Amino acid sequence: MRTVLLASLRVHTRRYVAALLAVGLAVAFVVATDALSSAARSGLNAGVGAPYASADLVVGESYGMSVEDEERAGEVARGAGGSTATIGRAWEQLTSEDGRQLDAETSIGTVSTDQEFRWQEVVSGRAPTRDDEALVDERAATSRSIKVGDTLTIGSGSDVLEVTVVGVAAPASYLSAPVYVPWEALRELPGAQPDVVLVDAGASGADVEALTADLSSAVGTSVRPTAEFVDERRTQVNDGIDVVSYLVLVFAAVAAFVAVLVVANTFTILFAQRSRDLALLRAVGARRRQLLRAVRLEALLIGVLASTVGLVVGGLGGLGITAAVRAVAGPERIGAVSWSPGWWVAAFVGGVLVTVVASWWPTRSVVRISPLAALRPEEPTHAGSAVGRRRIALGVAVAALGAVPLGIGIATMHLWLAMLGCFATFVGVLVLGPVLVPAVIRLIGRGLGRSGAPARLAVDNAVRNPRRTAATTASLLVGVTLTATVLTVMATGRGAMEADMDQEHPVDLVLSSTTAASDTVLEKVAGTQGVEQAVGVPGTTASAGDLGEVAVLAPDDATSAATRDGGAALTVGADEVLVPSDAKGLGDVGIPERLTLKGPAGVVELTTRLVPSRFGGAFVVAPATLERLTPEPEMQAVWARAESGADADDLGGSLGLIAREGGLELTNQLDRRAWVDVQLDVLVGAVVGLLGIAVLIALAGIGNTLGLSVLERGRENALVRALGLTRGQLRRSLGVEGLLLAAAAGLLGTALGIGYAWAGVRTVIDVAVPDATMVVPYGQLALVVLVAAVAGLVACIVPARRAGRIAPAEGLVAD
Amino acid sequence: MNQTTSARPSPPSPSPAPEAAAAARGLSRTYGSGPTAVHALHEVDLDLPRGRFTAVMGRSGSGKSTLMHCLAGLDQPSAGTVTIAGTTITGLGDDDLTRFRRDHLGFVFQAFNLLPMLTARQNVLLPLELGGRRIDREVRARLDHVVEVLDLVDRLDHRPGELSGGQQQRVAIARALVSEPDLVFADEPTGNLDSETSAEVLGLLRRGVHELGQTVVMVTHELEAAAHADDVVVLADGRVREHLTSPDAETVTQALLGSALDGSALGVPVGGGTR
Ligand SMILES: Nc1ncnc2c1ncn2[C@@H]1O[C@H](COP(=O)(O)OP(=O)(O)O)[C@@H](O)[C@H]1O
Ligand SMILES: [Mg+2]
Repeated sequence: MRTVLLASLRVHTRRYVAALLAVGLAVAFVVATDALSSAARSGLNAGVGAPYASADLVVGESYGMSVEDEERAGEVARGAGGSTATIGRAWEQLTSEDGRQLDAETSIGTVSTDQEFRWQEVVSGRAPTRDDEALVDERAATSRSIKVGDTLTIGSGSDVLEVTVVGVAAPASYLSAPVYVPWEALRELPGAQPDVVLVDAGASGADVEALTADLSSAVGTSVRPTAEFVDERRTQVNDGIDVVSYLVLVFAAVAAFVAVLVVANTFTILFAQRSRDLALLRAVGARRRQLLRAVRLEALLIGVLASTVGLVVGGLGGLGITAAVRAVAGPERIGAVSWSPGWWVAAFVGGVLVTVVASWWPTRSVVRISPLAALRPEEPTHAGSAVGRRRIALGVAVAALGAVPLGIGIATMHLWLAMLGCFATFVGVLVLGPVLVPAVIRLIGRGLGRSGAPARLAVDNAVRNPRRTAATTASLLVGVTLTATVLTVMATGRGAMEADMDQEHPVDLVLSSTTAASDTVLEKVAGTQGVEQAVGVPGTTASAGDLGEVAVLAPDDATSAATRDGGAALTVGADEVLVPSDAKGLGDVGIPERLTLKGPAGVVELTTRLVPSRFGGAFVVAPATLERLTPEPEMQAVWARAESGADADDLGGSLGLIAREGGLELTNQLDRRAWVDVQLDVLVGAVVGLLGIAVLIALAGIGNTLGLSVLERGRENALVRALGLTRGQLRRSLGVEGLLLAAAAGLLGTALGIGYAWAGVRTVIDVAVPDATMVVPYGQLALVVLVAAVAGLVACIVPARRAGRIAPAEGLVAD
Repeated sequence: MNQTTSARPSPPSPSPAPEAAAAARGLSRTYGSGPTAVHALHEVDLDLPRGRFTAVMGRSGSGKSTLMHCLAGLDQPSAGTVTIAGTTITGLGDDDLTRFRRDHLGFVFQAFNLLPMLTARQNVLLPLELGGRRIDREVRARLDHVVEVLDLVDRLDHRPGELSGGQQQRVAIARALVSEPDLVFADEPTGNLDSETSAEVLGLLRRGVHELGQTVVMVTHELEAAAHADDVVVLADGRVREHLTSPDAETVTQALLGSALDGSALGVPVGGGTR
């Protein structure tokens, strides 16, 4: 049996290419994930210790601390003869000297003026020694063109900080920010948050324990030795990376599932083709068990080979990808790759298991081969047996059973139940594949059939063996269904979020102040590139009791045109005043139920209505109310609506300049929108990219099935060539066959995906946004089907070329 | 149709007879090279007259199939020319050759004649469809006639798997005849059939030739099969040994026996072919 096994491996290895590829890719995926996550971990870990290195004690939890604790910790430590430094952070607007808005909202970090506590590495200029000096990150300095000597304005409104840039810091992997200012300055901003207080016991070094006790009793947060604190931070950072890599492993599991389908299909076809050889072996005396053992051993060896190749490819690929990411993200974020033996072993064992499990059923069929089969004359592969009723019944039953948890899951918004239902119904669809897929192919083929004989032959060939057709497309179906589901759920989520954003940020850009705006400003804004529409909003300033001087706007119909929601957020009654969520003093003073506004011409008392919308801090009243406040309204604000696709930062920069010239302030709400858009794009891109590996495996499967079919149909191809099919037509016919298989999987998968997305929207998005309207991204879905179809076409280039090379006479004599 | 003539120098053989449906001059086909080379055909000169049913005979390995493949443009000869209906097909490019086969030739093979996923009717019309010909009234009339002659009327909508071996071969013959080719090639068309069915199929093939006015070249090693033919070409060791016009059974047997003695020193069964 050994000779037979080795000989058949030698002869058939080429036919196992798809199995090798499928398993190898899945294994490589896991190993490459390990490489990337270990590199990210070592990059971050190297940076975690640095900010705390010089401290004896760290006061604060990982989620930050209160301002009071921060102050008290400083007092106590300094009282005991030690020194302290506070690490904190604020999210603020960043404006350049000339009024250019550099960032609508960015993170501002801290740098100590005390060299001992300064962890940033200054690469040019010097470190800040005074509270009004700042350090900028090297990357931020380049991208936002900030130079040493520049003055930056941090914050907006009346609470702003002006700092002078004195030096440039090397990019950091941990606690990094575009700008660092001393905590003593940053704390003046209302949004500043202390993170931890570093304590150096100083001369009282011997008495660290006593200091710890003093501090602990003084503050309401924990006081720990630096090493302990850093360990905890490190664990947090690593846990974060671990979560990401486990999420990526979910995609590896999808890839493995697809690999199982491809491998099972490959083995099924191969054993069908070899059934005569195997029957002959039986006829000459091989026992069933011997045969079974031989083919299982063959599968095992293929699994070992594929997994080994996968480890090598994944290892090299991981190093390559890591190097590429490092080049883009910077060496401080991506460190050296360190391999985890656990992942390698798991990937290898997983790969072997996938192969063995996938080959279990196909190899079992070997046992059923009767020695008599060898004696029967060789017959051409007939059209596959009709799909049995039992299979249809089984498929319908599984799908129906799955529909139950799916329905309950949707009704009760129970995610796991719904997912179970989705999985079960999908299995039902896979079981029904031999009915569904050929039907879809015939449907597409009906359109193609008229384009000539090669296309008609392709349709006939694609559906001749329904079970093989279904098995081949199943793998691609998995990938396309998941992709379509993700795209549709994301599009719906984005739609819901956009509706929310429209309400919260009805105006893209607001130029306002407590003084009036001029027509020149309006003209300039309207003339700025990227501005679709700019309107002046009539209003006035009024005093509002404890809230002080406030801007009051009374948008008219013309104004509504510049808003995102067509003025819906501006609906206000005659005795009402809209209080925006960014109103001044909202948190400190509190908003009374009724508010008295005192304008130049009169006093009105109005009912307050809190709205989530923001209009650059201004209050909104009805035009009639404004008339009672002032007889001659002025242009109190300029609202601009950006063209779609306009860059938020560029627009912020140019409008910032105009605002400053006119003595106004710019509120950039487009920036927030752009930020959310980028996050969603990255998320969709990452998910689709990760699913891509499964799609790749599936396409290898399609190419392989076609390749095996070409071998099988050698005689038929020779026959049609003899009868007058040109070489090109034969190639085209095989190409169309691949295209049909892929397109059928694409269409069916997209339809399923939209269905599952609906279930997903009802269970996931409805929790956050009730009754979100389904958004089906037709363009993206069409692209998915197109890409799948083209990829199917590409997958059969090799088999088609091979088939075309065979001369008719050669094919007629070959077995 | 691209009527290129052969680029090869004309061999010093007599030019093809004008009434020939197919003519080969200096046709050679060698497999492999060096000491292990097999000369399957050796400078064969052959004229096949129009409107006749010619059987090519010889024992197994004498080069019958190779001759047919070269004559039909299914294989490229190592040397020599083949002219069919005035077109020299040796030297044509693969696409031109394919189109030539489609428009001028018909085929019946020993087995695997039909595409399993097509019905009998679709199989019969396949060459026309490959050529993009419209199935007009004329074609349909001819189809009806051919199908009637071959007794396939109620089998047209069956798939090959549902037909007996004899019926399958008759469908193949119908396909070869329906497009009115200049020449029909049949390679051991009854090799897989029992003798009774063989006789029936061959009778139908012969009837097709005479009633539909076709030219048929049939490769066979069976004497019974050859008995249905008008002429017999006897091959031995890749050479034409005899070209007999309307021979009687005795002459054919003698010629075969002679070829066998010529081909090998061993005794050859007489009368029953080389079965
Ligand atoms: N592809 C091939 N490679 C090598 N030798 C071949 C090939 N095809 C045929 N032959 C040899 O050519 C000779 C003629 O073969 P063939 O034409 O098939 O004979 P026949 O059909 O009369 O039985 C035989 O000796 C055969 O072994
Ligand atoms: Mg032969």
